[in-house]
Amino acid sequence: MTGPIVLTGRNLRKDYPLNGAAVHALRGVSLAVRSGEYVAIAGPSGSGKSTLLQLIGGIDVPTAGEVEILGTRLDSLSDRELTRLRLTRLGFIFQRFHLLPVLTARENVELPMAEAGVPVKERRARALELLAYVGLEHRAGHRATQLSGGEMQRVAIARALANRPALLLADEPTGELDAATGGEILELFRRLNEDGTTLVVITHDERLAAQAGRVIHMIDGRICE
Amino acid sequence: MGIHAWRPRVFAAVLLIIGAGPARAQVAEVAVERRLAEELGLSIGDTFRIGPAVDSITKLGLVTAIYEPRPDPAEIAKRERHVRLHLPDLAALLGAPDRVDRYGVGLRPGVSPDTAAAALNRSAFGYRAYSSRAIASESSQTLLVVSRFHRAIAVITIVASAVFLLCIMLLKVEERRMDAAVMRFVGVRRRTIFGALLLEAALIAAFGSVAGSGLAYLAGAATNAYYRRFFDTGLTFSLITPTIVLFSVGLSLALGIVAGAVAAWRLVHTRPLVLWGRG
Amino acid sequence: MSGLNWAVQNLIRQRLRTLLAVSGIAISAAMLLDMVMLSGGIEKSFAELLLAKGYQIRLTPKGTLPFDTEATLDRAGSVVGRLRRDTAIESAGAVLGTSLYGRSRDSLVTLVGYGIQPEAQGIYQMQRGRDLTPDDTLGVLLSPAVAGLLGAGVGDTVSLVGRLDPQVAAAGVSRRLVVRGIVRWVYDYRGQPSVGTILPVMQALASGGRPDDTASLLLVKVRNDAAVPAVADRLRKEFPRLEVYSVADLVRFFKQRLVYFRQLSYILATMSLIVTVLLITTLLTITVNERLGEIATLRAIGIARSTVVRQVFIEGTVLTVVGAALGIVLGLATARYLDSILTSFPGLPAAFSFFVPRQESLVTAGLVLMVTGSLAGLYPAWLATRAPIAATLRSEAT
Repeated sequence: MTGPIVLTGRNLRKDYPLNGAAVHALRGVSLAVRSGEYVAIAGPSGSGKSTLLQLIGGIDVPTAGEVEILGTRLDSLSDRELTRLRLTRLGFIFQRFHLLPVLTARENVELPMAEAGVPVKERRARALELLAYVGLEHRAGHRATQLSGGEMQRVAIARALANRPALLLADEPTGELDAATGGEILELFRRLNEDGTTLVVITHDERLAAQAGRVIHMIDGRICE
Repeated sequence: MGIHAWRPRVFAAVLLIIGAGPARAQVAEVAVERRLAEELGLSIGDTFRIGPAVDSITKLGLVTAIYEPRPDPAEIAKRERHVRLHLPDLAALLGAPDRVDRYGVGLRPGVSPDTAAAALNRSAFGYRAYSSRAIASESSQTLLVVSRFHRAIAVITIVASAVFLLCIMLLKVEERRMDAAVMRFVGVRRRTIFGALLLEAALIAAFGSVAGSGLAYLAGAATNAYYRRFFDTGLTFSLITPTIVLFSVGLSLALGIVAGAVAAWRLVHTRPLVLWGRG
Repeated sequence: MSGLNWAVQNLIRQRLRTLLAVSGIAISAAMLLDMVMLSGGIEKSFAELLLAKGYQIRLTPKGTLPFDTEATLDRAGSVVGRLRRDTAIESAGAVLGTSLYGRSRDSLVTLVGYGIQPEAQGIYQMQRGRDLTPDDTLGVLLSPAVAGLLGAGVGDTVSLVGRLDPQVAAAGVSRRLVVRGIVRWVYDYRGQPSVGTILPVMQALASGGRPDDTASLLLVKVRNDAAVPAVADRLRKEFPRLEVYSVADLVRFFKQRLVYFRQLSYILATMSLIVTVLLITTLLTITVNERLGEIATLRAIGIARSTVVRQVFIEGTVLTVVGAALGIVLGLATARYLDSILTSFPGLPAAFSFFVPRQESLVTAGLVLMVTGSLAGLYPAWLATRAPIAATLRSEAT
């Protein structure tokens, strides 16, 4: 069941300078994602998938074009406002998990809530709730370095859900995982989407792409129709 | 002695008679040290009054020489000023015509000062004899204390430098842990990696030592320039000898190489996967 | 999970480098504390020494410092009388310093003699026995060193010799005196062989029996501390042939004599701070560079720049606080060692210290270190905020 549009990208371009010449990572990409959708972006290496994700997530700036999230144009926001938007409206999941190794699983999940000013008791309770949701409540007190790859990715997913984001963005979430563990993540994504979470996932994983409601194929910085 | 240098401007007026004053009998010939002459505005040929107490400055002195006293490190912090008179003039001035503070004794060649002093002391009554070396040693105690203090500070500085060096070497070597991991993965031996890091540490230590020596030379020159001006003296306050340079360079090289060796040893004995961040 | 906990965990993660950094900061902090003590301790210790018996003003022969030369002032009795009649002055006394000899079996030992006015003395503290009375012409006070040299105790008789005549090989003037007490001479160096008699007795010994009304020094105790500068000024006008020193004046001259140590203390303190700054800046910069990926991730998930900067600052501050705490303990120990070296200066009063641990020294050193350590984190913190998120994440992925 999908709802209103939560994300719009219009004619997005991204060029990088390289040895005096320009590398065109994105060549005019447009897309729209509705609330509750599960969108997979697939394509070979160098097709611009990660670049597209970074642009729509507001962690990079397009050379041309615009991104709108929940009716707000990202180019109209200051750096502080953009950061705040990422904190409260978006959730990021990375290929390499990027948990803070010195913090426990629970503390990693609490981190965005602490930044958002959620009171201690409330964020602690929610962190445990989220860890239970991803099946890791028994590992809440373990440091990130003590977790397996799959467990780390599940903690990363819990962290991404901490502030109830409107949109989850995942960059190759199963890229560092074996098939079985990747399957667990797939199942978690399916459950998230069923529970109403909007997902945009970049993936090489055919199973994940197959699970998505819509697949966008990219080659050479363009969307293939 | 009634020449007072604490407030020269006040006493210049009291003591100084510019030009030829009324000639009195028994004008004492006086050699004045340079700094006093500058403070009181005295030149050779000037006359001034001199006396043993503030209320008996009656005798005339004639400046016949202005001299530079031999720099004495024990005296530079004091602001005493000296003049020299012929002994009979000074004794008469003090009202003690047959009294002195000390005698200087010159020995014939081959006579041991310590033996001569011992012989004098056996028959002494009311005085003691010392060799010049004994007096020099005694009066150098202050400077020996300063030397010990400097040495203590140097030791503390060396310890601090060693810790600092070890910390920096460790940090710099650990920055290269990914490179080291990759090298171990592709089969480069520990010994090779260790040697490369050690060579790097040695080069950095050598460069640092040379730079440090240059800095020390400049600092020493600045110290001498400053304190010579501050105390108005020709003394040398900072002396950098070849021995000191050799010792310093040797020590800093040794510390740098040891620090690099410790850091490198630690790196090469860490498992490659741990270096890679996966272990 | 707090920022402090997070910072502590990050530091514990790299134990050896943290330990070395803390050790380096501790040694620098110790040096800084010692130099702060040295720069302020000299004058404070000297001022306390001068005020040991409460005498705030000293009068000496013109152009001399107390006991700096053999110069004496004449008509000491009349000057003391005039001082005692001054209503602003609570107490005034004269002291004569001279060298004399004590008979020890068949030999003579050189002693330092003090002629004092017991009713207004400011140079000794009783240890055993009793004090002299103002008219006690037969009594003497000994330092413990002299008591040992002469083998005399309270109640024993000692023989003191003033002038010696080498030509007739005999004593010019000698006196047999009864030991009334053993005292600590406040301004003596360690082991100084000093004796004290009432002023007329010592004047006779020093002058060879001739009439003598000289003194080396006059001590004045002013009723009201706040009035000391005004009284000193008035005495300068009243006695133009004497030097009048307040404690502040003497401290100033003493500081001038020891100017080298104060300058050295400033230089070494500055170097300590530079080392601390370099250590913290280098450590945090390298740490930030190593964690750029982590920082980029934090920024990506919405952690503000200010939070990242705060974390870097907290880490630097934790290093500084721990290092400073250890450094203070180390500094107090090294100060004792350095003080033992400097107080072995020949002729320095035994009661004097160069390194005086005081609360304000500790607070000053601590504050300076804290501020410096925090500022040292500025560059690495700035560095942390400059990391471009996307580019960093891309390079982390490769």
